[in-house]
Amino acid sequence: MKVLALLWADEQGWSALTKEEQEAWYERYRAFGAEAAANLAAGAELAPTRSATTVRVRNGETVVTDGPFAETKEQLGGFFVLDVESLDEAAELAARIPAAEHGAVELRAAHVEEAAA
Amino acid sequence: MKYLLLLNNEASEWDRWRTLSKAEAAAGRAEEIPRWNHAFAWAAEQQIELDGLELEDPSGARVVTRRNGETIVTDGPFAETKEVVGGYFVADCTDLDQAIELAQRIPVVEKGSVEIRPLVEE
Repeated sequence: MKVLALLWADEQGWSALTKEEQEAWYERYRAFGAEAAANLAAGAELAPTRSATTVRVRNGETVVTDGPFAETKEQLGGFFVLDVESLDEAAELAARIPAAEHGAVELRAAHVEEAAA
Repeated sequence: MKYLLLLNNEASEWDRWRTLSKAEAAAGRAEEIPRWNHAFAWAAEQQIELDGLELEDPSGARVVTRRNGETIVTDGPFAETKEVVGGYFVADCTDLDQAIELAQRIPVVEKGSVEIRPLVEE
């Protein structure tokens, strides 16, 4: 099954780090990526939420606003798509994602279309 | 330029879907398919490469944190918000305007929202 892992963290905390400190975290992400390669289908880092744009259409009219759809204490900073046998296996992998240590990793199973009866 | 498009459904829509029988849910999904196909056809015309997933109900979400070497798994979703992500696309668009054009064509945009986030490309 595919599971989307959403990486939530305080982006202000991230931008307050020195280049060397950020590089040390990137190094840990690369190590996780190498270790978990067999279970990773995709993944990316997101640009900070100040570059987010939210789009809605109401009564045929498009409304475009700057910023994420919700103001949250921690922000979505990246994601992985995990290819695993179960949510338990996904949770084991998620615990090894560096963001789990200072933020949180949210796991969302992908929808599987049931065959018509 | 690659963008993550987060497809957010109103929490009340999730609640409504939960009340539907399997047959009703299947009919509801079938009804929406032409509109999704319309969005996909437009993306193909614009030569936008699309990848993505539809997600299961957020009531099945889990949140994993690790503090002082200990793993804690709780029921999710992570943020208590009026809208909750129900799927995503990664789209390779020429620019933000094209990503907005695409977002406008995604059916959830009429009841929920589509949040566009540029990816950091190495």
